[in-house]
Amino acid sequence: MLRGVLDLCLLAVVVDEPAYGYEMTRRLRERGLSTVGEGSIYPLLGRLEREGLVATHREASDGGPPRKYYSASPSGRRALSEGVRAWRDVRGEVDSVLATIEAEVA
Amino acid sequence: MTAYVEECRQEWKRLGVPDLLAEEMATELESDLAEAQADGVSAAELLGESDPRRFAANWAGERGLVREPAPPKRRRIWPWIVVALFLVLFATWTALQTAGHGSATRGRPVEVTPSRRVSVPNVIGMKACKALRTVAHTVDDWRIAGHPHGSTCDEIVVSQSPVGHVIRRDGHPVIVTLRVGRS
Repeated sequence: MLRGVLDLCLLAVVVDEPAYGYEMTRRLRERGLSTVGEGSIYPLLGRLEREGLVATHREASDGGPPRKYYSASPSGRRALSEGVRAWRDVRGEVDSVLATIEAEVA
Repeated sequence: MTAYVEECRQEWKRLGVPDLLAEEMATELESDLAEAQADGVSAAELLGESDPRRFAANWAGERGLVREPAPPKRRRIWPWIVVALFLVLFATWTALQTAGHGSATRGRPVEVTPSRRVSVPNVIGMKACKALRTVAHTVDDWRIAGHPHGSTCDEIVVSQSPVGHVIRRDGHPVIVTLRVGRS
């Protein structure tokens, strides 16, 4: 269910502040998305990186190896903006369909 | 956790992911798994995938690090035909060289008896003992036809075979048979 919009969610959690993989999972959970679903975020991050929608850099961590941080690139920000608009349109249409079903069931 | 990451490493190696990038992903994963474990989050919950190899392949694939299998090339046949023809010709030439050389240097030597010319004397009319001495000097062997043991030196050669003339014998002994009788 989340497969199509999880990349938007990932961009959303790094658009303001970079984060490493597990930190992104934590931010998603803090915003209410506790179940990422099958496949996890790493393959998605890989695709976003390949498509240039996220930029990466390394930062030293406490007592461990440097962590890889992700942040939304300029094209990632544009993609996020367009994706959010498209999602809202789709969400409205889907809500309309589901609302009808819900009314019939009720 | 370590076992999971190790499985991922092996899968990336199998898939031909460059070592540095594989190590980068392994380090990232190891750090996140350790932090998740400290938070009480299981690997399955974080990764959503219990099969490390499938997870690793999926991640590398999405990053574009897995080499796509090359499309089959159209094979040209004629270069192979030329090569095959060359090999056949070379093998034939080598076989001929070996056979020719081998006959001269290897294997059992063949004794070649050169043809020779033998002059068989005509001893008809000669006394037996003198006739035998004569032919013995020129031919390989001789025989006395009839009853040789009863013959005497006084008897006369009445016939011989082969007759006296120059003959050629290729590798065979020249044997003269004399027939003697009383004159």
